[in-house]
Amino acid sequence: MSNHHTEMTTRTFVDVHAIQEELDQVRWGLHEDKEQGEAAQHAAAEARASVLNLIAVVGNEAQLGVVSSVLDRLSITNPSRTLILLAQHTREADKLEAEVSAQERTESGHRVTTERVVLHAHGEPARHLASLATPLLIPDLPVILWWPGRPQFDNPLFDDLCELADRLVVDTDEGFDDADLTNLLHVARRHQAQASIGDLNWARLMAWRHVAAQFFDMPGMLARLTQVQGVSIFHGSDGATAQARLLGGWIRSRLATVGLEVPLELRPDDSLEHGIHRFLIYTGGDDGPARFSMTRLRGGRLSTQIRLGDQDLAERTVRLESRAPEELLGIELTLPGHDALFERALASALA
Amino acid sequence: MAQAPTTTLTQNVLRDGLILPRTPDPAAMVIFGASGDLTARKLMPALYNLALNRYLPSGFSVIGVADTALSEDEFRAHMEQAVQKFSRTQPVDRAVWQSLAEGISYVRMPFDDQDGYGRLASELDRLDRERGTAGNRVFYLATAPQFFPVIINRLGTSGIARAGEGWKRVVIEKPFGNDLKSAQALNQAIHAVFTEQQIHRIDHYLGKETVQNVLVFRFANGIFEPIWNRRYVDHVQITVAEDIGIERRGKYYESAGALRDIFQNHLLQLLSIAAMEAPPNFDADSVRDEKVKVLKSIHPIDVANDVVRGQYGQGWVGGQQVPGYRQELNVSPTSTTETFVAVRLKIDNWRWADTPFYLRTGKRLPSRASEIAIQFKNPPHLPFAKTAVQELTPNVLVMRIQPHEGASLKIAAKIPGPVLRLRTVNMDFFYGSSFMVESPDAYERLVLDCLLGDATLFAREDEVERAWGLVDRIEAGWASQPPPPFPNYAAGTWGPEEVDALIERDGRRWRRP
Repeated sequence: MSNHHTEMTTRTFVDVHAIQEELDQVRWGLHEDKEQGEAAQHAAAEARASVLNLIAVVGNEAQLGVVSSVLDRLSITNPSRTLILLAQHTREADKLEAEVSAQERTESGHRVTTERVVLHAHGEPARHLASLATPLLIPDLPVILWWPGRPQFDNPLFDDLCELADRLVVDTDEGFDDADLTNLLHVARRHQAQASIGDLNWARLMAWRHVAAQFFDMPGMLARLTQVQGVSIFHGSDGATAQARLLGGWIRSRLATVGLEVPLELRPDDSLEHGIHRFLIYTGGDDGPARFSMTRLRGGRLSTQIRLGDQDLAERTVRLESRAPEELLGIELTLPGHDALFERALASALA
Repeated sequence: MAQAPTTTLTQNVLRDGLILPRTPDPAAMVIFGASGDLTARKLMPALYNLALNRYLPSGFSVIGVADTALSEDEFRAHMEQAVQKFSRTQPVDRAVWQSLAEGISYVRMPFDDQDGYGRLASELDRLDRERGTAGNRVFYLATAPQFFPVIINRLGTSGIARAGEGWKRVVIEKPFGNDLKSAQALNQAIHAVFTEQQIHRIDHYLGKETVQNVLVFRFANGIFEPIWNRRYVDHVQITVAEDIGIERRGKYYESAGALRDIFQNHLLQLLSIAAMEAPPNFDADSVRDEKVKVLKSIHPIDVANDVVRGQYGQGWVGGQQVPGYRQELNVSPTSTTETFVAVRLKIDNWRWADTPFYLRTGKRLPSRASEIAIQFKNPPHLPFAKTAVQELTPNVLVMRIQPHEGASLKIAAKIPGPVLRLRTVNMDFFYGSSFMVESPDAYERLVLDCLLGDATLFAREDEVERAWGLVDRIEAGWASQPPPPFPNYAAGTWGPEEVDALIERDGRRWRRP
């Protein structure tokens, strides 16, 4: 696989019109100087594919570096207009600075180009960055707001950007506590008509949800879903419980739709690594007891097994992808709008 | 304790919101021809990748059937090597492979050996008991075509095809017959044992993401259908060009030629999806009904005037000197097999009346390209000076299947300057630029669809027979003419000279894909 990455241009501006003009320059490659001209002709020779506008909000320079490299990798699959807001309203002395750049990537003969604006603001301008972001967006394309870390739910910038966005993406695995989860649910409900919520943690649970659902796709197993008597989730005891709670919230909320209220046992274990280790669903009723188990194995695998009474049915090993942040973000960017299932799972996790 | 539910479940509520295919029922797949190339290169890697991505159910089992002396362990080791070599995802996850391999067994038998089918039945019974496959079976015929009838027959007479509970499906590889008569005979032989709903005839082209994308391009975008007809379209060119020769397939190719190898299936599939009406929905029969209507509407071909055949001689392709067809391995030095065919078709329906479709395919052409090109009519009036529009060419919309899947549109634009001059520019769109992700192999999609009982991307009986009817008509026309002076095109060119005349007499020209 050939891989090529070029930074076409980087310039610094402070005026919104100058930024817009520079974005047009890098998007359509209209620079006059010779070196840029070559890249410009290259870029201008064909129609440009863009699928979205992405706004990422970071709190400091270190986070800016991490987020930039995630977005670099994301740009391969999601050519977009990217705005990174380094908003530091607590720093004194007003400052507003914009850096415009374009990245060109070639992989396997395909070329994608992404324009990026880094808006760096201190003091009061940091609270009003949404007003600068709005005119820099490509029309007609969805706006995704990615807020890495714990969002500042009480910062007016958060509200302004949520108003602007079609989707807010967070990662509840990044230390979200009860108050954060409650705030997130509040945002989901408040913004139901506007921004939908995406959670990278929810995307991580895809494999667990898929395998759990597959148990009951098997012939004769669907009826057992109405006989679920309990659910146990074993997880690492490093303090991060959002993932286990969300998975528990998910199965409880799904079963609640058929009138089943299921006890959930969350079992932290010092000996386990971060994240969910084991997910057990117990059923009873006329068909006799059964246990549906999913166990994380080393090397990114999931082992699944059904025990009916004391008989073990065919075991199966499948992949449990350990996805990089850009992959998880990529999944969130392609999902359709409002995710009612996630919101119900979140509400159930908080209940 | 959990509270008792108040409703009875009719669907799996845990599946809600998962944008993933349904999980197939546990089943046993019996692969006839399990020691062959197709099993090693395509089927087993496809099954491994389906298992890896959680698409196969618990208990899924494979029985390899072949007449090669192999122990069960040797067969599994052979399959593991095949997956190591040909899987699109690397490195191979040993634990996942091991989990799949636990359900793999091997039955050695000649395909006509009635006793062997008894052993196969016992093995299937064992899987039902031990792995819960519940009588669900896929019989995958990955053998040479001459074995298809005998395998089908034995599956019927041994009772395996109908035994007990569960569903039974059969997958037949290409080529499905070699003319209308043999295709009808094969259909009849299969129908003696299986119903049409159980039969899955593979044309792996339809499993390609890129081909399915043509349907999405046409029917998910409101702006194209209104102009997708005789009123706005001047003509359509469909090309499946290969720069490679016949490689080591001389024996097969001598009996097939370009007409059977590509025209009968891939080219006619592309024609069908380019010309069909929008189906009411995307279930198997709705899509295939519309495709068959296109084949039914093809105006009887005037072979002498509307078909050109060719055979490559030696030449240069991609900077390499290559031998002529007659110098290839297992090819007769006096062979009259065609390696190139071009056909001018008309479709007799309201949408396409009098709009020609030019189809061509060939080996050792200058480049590899599969595409559908829609050339639109010129504007009825150009309000510009003649000198302004001399460089203008008609709008062309191209849907590229491979390589570089995507679409391009040729449009007119003004050349900057004080004088009004127009020229044509190409707007190119690569799907890869928006979806730079690895696509699953066509076989993964098709095997999964078969396990799920979805036959949309498989050829139906009437579709196959209609296609062979067209081939027979062309063959009959050729038989009544003296053979052309083969070889009649040099490797690395776009076919024989006559192919230009075929289109130029209509005042048109071939595109360079």
